[in-house]
Amino acid sequence: MKTKQTIAVIGATGNIGSAISKNLSKGNYRLLLKGSKQDELETLVKEIKTSNSAADVEAAVCPAEAGWEADIIILAVPFGAEKEVAKKIKEVANQKIVISISNPLNETYNGLVTAPDTSAAEELQKLLPNSKVIKAFNTTFAADFTTPVIDGKQADAFIAGNDEDALQIVTELVATAGFNPIVAGDLCVSRTLENMQLLLIQLGMKYNYNWLAGWKILHH
Amino acid sequence: MYELFFRNFTKKVPLTQEEEALIKTYLTPKKLRKKQYLLQEGDVCKNIAFIEAGALKAYSVDDTGNEHIIQFGIEGWIISDLYSFLTGEPATYNIDAIEDAELILISKSAHEELLLKIPKYETYTRLNITGAYLAMQKRLTSIISSPLAERYANFTALYPDIVQRVPQHMIASYMGLTPETLSRVRRRISAK
Repeated sequence: MKTKQTIAVIGATGNIGSAISKNLSKGNYRLLLKGSKQDELETLVKEIKTSNSAADVEAAVCPAEAGWEADIIILAVPFGAEKEVAKKIKEVANQKIVISISNPLNETYNGLVTAPDTSAAEELQKLLPNSKVIKAFNTTFAADFTTPVIDGKQADAFIAGNDEDALQIVTELVATAGFNPIVAGDLCVSRTLENMQLLLIQLGMKYNYNWLAGWKILHH
Repeated sequence: MYELFFRNFTKKVPLTQEEEALIKTYLTPKKLRKKQYLLQEGDVCKNIAFIEAGALKAYSVDDTGNEHIIQFGIEGWIISDLYSFLTGEPATYNIDAIEDAELILISKSAHEELLLKIPKYETYTRLNITGAYLAMQKRLTSIISSPLAERYANFTALYPDIVQRVPQHMIASYMGLTPETLSRVRRRISAK
């Protein structure tokens, strides 16, 4: 697509939020970044512009303003904060792609706080019934964004959602971020994707992967 | 956010509150800043844009890089590359903002669902397309057969807001003139 898409990243100063923002700033996107800490946000914008003078990026005033200008909204906030952000962007996110990246982990990282018959992404879809919620970037750690090729293999990044056009757009976005995009299925497949990350986190702690790990499907 | 859209809609076809609420779920609110593109030539036009605030232009670019403005759009108007939107072929127009703009976008899939679900939306669409067709016929006839001075006079009488808000070189482009020719025409008119 030649026409530049505007992406609002809400929670841009977090680990994953800033990693996503940095990688997407290399693509044909305009980024509107919103984070809770204004000074960190300005530092991030400066950092992106210094490393790539062609980057089209700026700090946004509030989630609603950023969301209104955006074509795509990335919610890079913890699961627990999604409800509040969803309330703020509900009106402006109508019909737009909203990317859910969160994993609803419990405090001790040994389980999920969501019931087995739902997922963080499906809960977000309930809060934003007229938006196109897409699950993406939940199986990738922040460090993977600087090193998407691990041990010689490009990490896979799984995408789930119900809208064909939206899945296509997010697939391009995930590829721009440096990963190998794989459309896994409908939004309810997010249940599996979120559990996959739970497993990866548990294994990472057990075998000391040092937060640089990812999934790769081997096939012929 | 949707005020003018529904005011215009209900002027054409009255809606119940339920219908208005249902239509709203299909609309995409979008802000565009001055000089940003809504659509670039070569991409498929995926939305019809209703203008709540601001001004936009649709134009083609020739081999020498000159812009030819096809249409202006201000508050209450609809702008899109309808050919690309309806056929799914790549757009031949570019659409960008002359002023900061607030838009209501209707995507192709939303448009099709609305046509199926809400007969009043179909009526609204028919009235819009009929209006656009009549305007296009007028514009075509005027380009082919009216003298320059008359064309300019008609344009300013029909669209005084656009003449106020849009730079002269864009109006020249819309009328198929060089800016120099347009300013000669304007001098001749004001001398009368």
